[in-house]
Amino acid sequence: MIPIVSLAVFLPLIGAVILLFLPGTSKAVSHGIGIGFSALTFVLTLVMWSRGVVPGGFSQVEEVSWIEAIGAAYRVGVDGLSLPLVLLTSLLFLLSFVYQAKSSDRARSFVILMLMLETASIGTFVALDALLFYVFFEVSLVSMYFMIAGWGEKDRQRAALMFFLYTLLGSLPLLLAILGMFLASDPYTFDMRIWIETQPLTGIGGMLALIAMLFTFAVKIPAFPVHTWLPAAHVQAPTVGSVILAGVMLKFGTYGLVRFSLQMLPDAFASAGMVVLVFGVISAIYGAFVALAQSDLKRLIAYTSVNHMGYVVIGVAVAAMAVDPAMRAVALDGATLQMVSHGLVTGALFFLVGMLKDRAHTREMSHFGGLLKITPVLGWSFIFFAFASLGLPGLAHFPAEFQIFLATLNISPWAVVSILAIVVTAGLYLRAIGLVFLGEPGKEWLKMPDLDGREVLVLIPLVALTIAVGIVPGIVLDTIHTTTTSLGF
Amino acid sequence: MSRDLAFLLPELTLMITVALMLVAEMVRRAGLTLLIGLAGLALAVWFTLPVLDAGTTVFGGTYRIDLLSGWAKLILLPATALSMLLARAELSGRVREGSVYSLIMLVTIGALMLAGSGDTMLLVLGIVVTGLGSFALVAYPGDDAATEASMKYLVFGSVTGAVMIYGLSFWFAGSGSTLFSALSGMQTKPLLAAAGLIAVLVGLGYKAALVPFHFWAPEAYEGAPVSVAAYMSVVTKIAAIFALAQLLRDLPIQTGWAWAIAAIAVLTMTYGYLAALVQTNLVRLLAYSSVAQAGYFLLGFVALGRGDIALLSIIVFAAAYVAMNIGAFSVVLLAGRDIDAIRGLGRRAPMLGVAMVIFLLSLAGIPPLFGFFGKFLLFGAALKAGFLWLAVIAILNSVLSLAVYLRIIVAMYRAPEGDEAAPRASPVAALVWGTSLAATLGLGIFTRLFFS
Repeated sequence: MIPIVSLAVFLPLIGAVILLFLPGTSKAVSHGIGIGFSALTFVLTLVMWSRGVVPGGFSQVEEVSWIEAIGAAYRVGVDGLSLPLVLLTSLLFLLSFVYQAKSSDRARSFVILMLMLETASIGTFVALDALLFYVFFEVSLVSMYFMIAGWGEKDRQRAALMFFLYTLLGSLPLLLAILGMFLASDPYTFDMRIWIETQPLTGIGGMLALIAMLFTFAVKIPAFPVHTWLPAAHVQAPTVGSVILAGVMLKFGTYGLVRFSLQMLPDAFASAGMVVLVFGVISAIYGAFVALAQSDLKRLIAYTSVNHMGYVVIGVAVAAMAVDPAMRAVALDGATLQMVSHGLVTGALFFLVGMLKDRAHTREMSHFGGLLKITPVLGWSFIFFAFASLGLPGLAHFPAEFQIFLATLNISPWAVVSILAIVVTAGLYLRAIGLVFLGEPGKEWLKMPDLDGREVLVLIPLVALTIAVGIVPGIVLDTIHTTTTSLGF
Repeated sequence: MSRDLAFLLPELTLMITVALMLVAEMVRRAGLTLLIGLAGLALAVWFTLPVLDAGTTVFGGTYRIDLLSGWAKLILLPATALSMLLARAELSGRVREGSVYSLIMLVTIGALMLAGSGDTMLLVLGIVVTGLGSFALVAYPGDDAATEASMKYLVFGSVTGAVMIYGLSFWFAGSGSTLFSALSGMQTKPLLAAAGLIAVLVGLGYKAALVPFHFWAPEAYEGAPVSVAAYMSVVTKIAAIFALAQLLRDLPIQTGWAWAIAAIAVLTMTYGYLAALVQTNLVRLLAYSSVAQAGYFLLGFVALGRGDIALLSIIVFAAAYVAMNIGAFSVVLLAGRDIDAIRGLGRRAPMLGVAMVIFLLSLAGIPPLFGFFGKFLLFGAALKAGFLWLAVIAILNSVLSLAVYLRIIVAMYRAPEGDEAAPRASPVAALVWGTSLAATLGLGIFTRLFFS
């Protein structure tokens, strides 16, 4: 049998290695290799999707023994939680390569870094060995550091350094938690499936491990108050860097929150659930209000990520506190779907801001006005995704947030105050649309070209999926639901 | 006796090799000296393989043929070969070039003695042999800086050596034997045990450049040829650390040595990286970085006597440290000692730049590089021994270390100012950094080799 999952993980890396040993490659060939390998990877993840998942545990598992003495092995596989994220990852990478194809700035190095990052990202979601998970988790940091430091904007060195130090400081506690789980398991193993099944750490050790994990994932998500690296990194990152950072890498945090904290330490998480919930609510509301205060369009979208990921945290915390398995499934369904929706919608918004910046070389909202008349396709696309982002029914965020609020109302009704944030989000998007796209166009923008064919090609799949998930959430939710109803704790 | 000698085949091979090397040096055939040395090292590695897990002692328990000394050979002998090749790249054609190779070989023999010592007298002998060779190696360039560095190194070494011998006499008084294995009797004599422990920490701490006995290291590395600095930062350091492990394995845990080691580990890691943060000379920066790295080794020490993981973690990290540190030094050798000299290196020599990035990230402990797996096992050892706070401090230091190493990486990818020369092209040095790169990249994945 062909190891599809491993192929999907390592195919991009193979592309990177091939490119590394082809010095002096032209940019056309470099971009061609990037698009080709990421397209093949996307096809492989579609095959994974068609194979589907089974209730209870993981499917499509592939294993190779590594160090038997300490129970470390190469183990990959998917369940309903990771499979949608894998598909989202391969799609966003493919679109990023298509978007980037016009760029000529050290194309070969950029494509190599992106392919490395794709391997690390898919690997993070499919790893079933804690050591392997950590390796992929960290490799993604390194690739993103070089992407920001090498291709970012004016103040990129400082932003990249801050990003790397902040998130490394954030991820090292996870290493301690992993070691703690390892030392508590009997016999010694790094197999995440066994950790989920036997939950080796309990009591005070479990609580310490949970705190370490929560710190790691809160930095990654990012949740209040450790979110401060995110705006700096986003503003300085190149467009595709922002798309991947927001669309894929933030999900490492929420994915880890479910996979590690919730599944391996459910008891500790249940008792600490209220604290996590409070931070989730603060993140959601605070993110929305700070976004309202921004004048830079990219910064604004970066802060709405804090808000949207806050809802995911709320969903997971509510799931941890839920006693009724049906309600827990609703909360987790909502949280997981929210991850997918956020990837689609915010990924698209960052693409659009990048396209605007390519034309205007500024992102200050007050510099624009009336762009809807000059660049209607860009304008309407932005308005479409802005409405999707504020949770309009019929678009991707609505079914996700609806389920999160439904479960919250059932378990911890006060936390529904975070629904206020939706009003704030609506206000800030309407203000942004008004400032940038409505009113009388400024003279300097009259010559601005509208989106070209390649750019439209990048947006079409995202528009289609945003509508599809909004109207028929079942296409994704059925897979998620298979797993969330069979978690077994 | 013949049984003992059979176990000593690797050491005997090296002694014959060094004698042949001296003959070749007498007729001023530097290339031949190098070849004899490399052949001898290869042969010694070959002889080590069958006795790797012998788990025995020779000469009445004074010299140990165990996992630690076996791996010491498998790690230090290739490290010696790489250092010799690096010296060839740096010093080729200089007067008495062959003496450098012969001295390096001599110091390596002393290093093996240290790593296998089971007796305090052998420990002292190892310190003296490695010391004498190293003083001469540092002084090799013959200029003022080298002479001063060597002098400081010598004075510092003589004082710490004397303190150590004095302190070891307390242990002899307490246990009535010079064997480490007799130290188990020290449990009832805490004062004598403490006096000896302090003395050993002074003597071996100096050799391994642990804080606060590290002052000589940046000076000596800076004065010495880069290849000699690379050699000393790896071989003599690891030998001293292995010797300390041989000794502390037998010292009863009740004497509280684990706490002393933990305190020194914290000091060494933190001070090393803080000092490295402000260096502009890359050799000094790497010197302070290797001071800090020595602190990580000590994380494994606190778990000595609590299962295999302690020794394994020290061995794996030693192998990783050899690969990444020699690699980093060889790039400095090619690019120049100043941080401004390395500016734009990543654009002028892309492959060399990528190699340096990988060495530095491995030193910082970023997966999936070899350095990460070593540190990971060390953290695990510290946790297993119940030293959670020590692991937490080590982790905070890892963040600090990233700042240290990123300074070099950032400089490497800044736009060159135009007048920087391309790095020296040297096929021998390329062989060294290529080998180190392969080990840093690949051995992490093959860490299982160490778990045989």
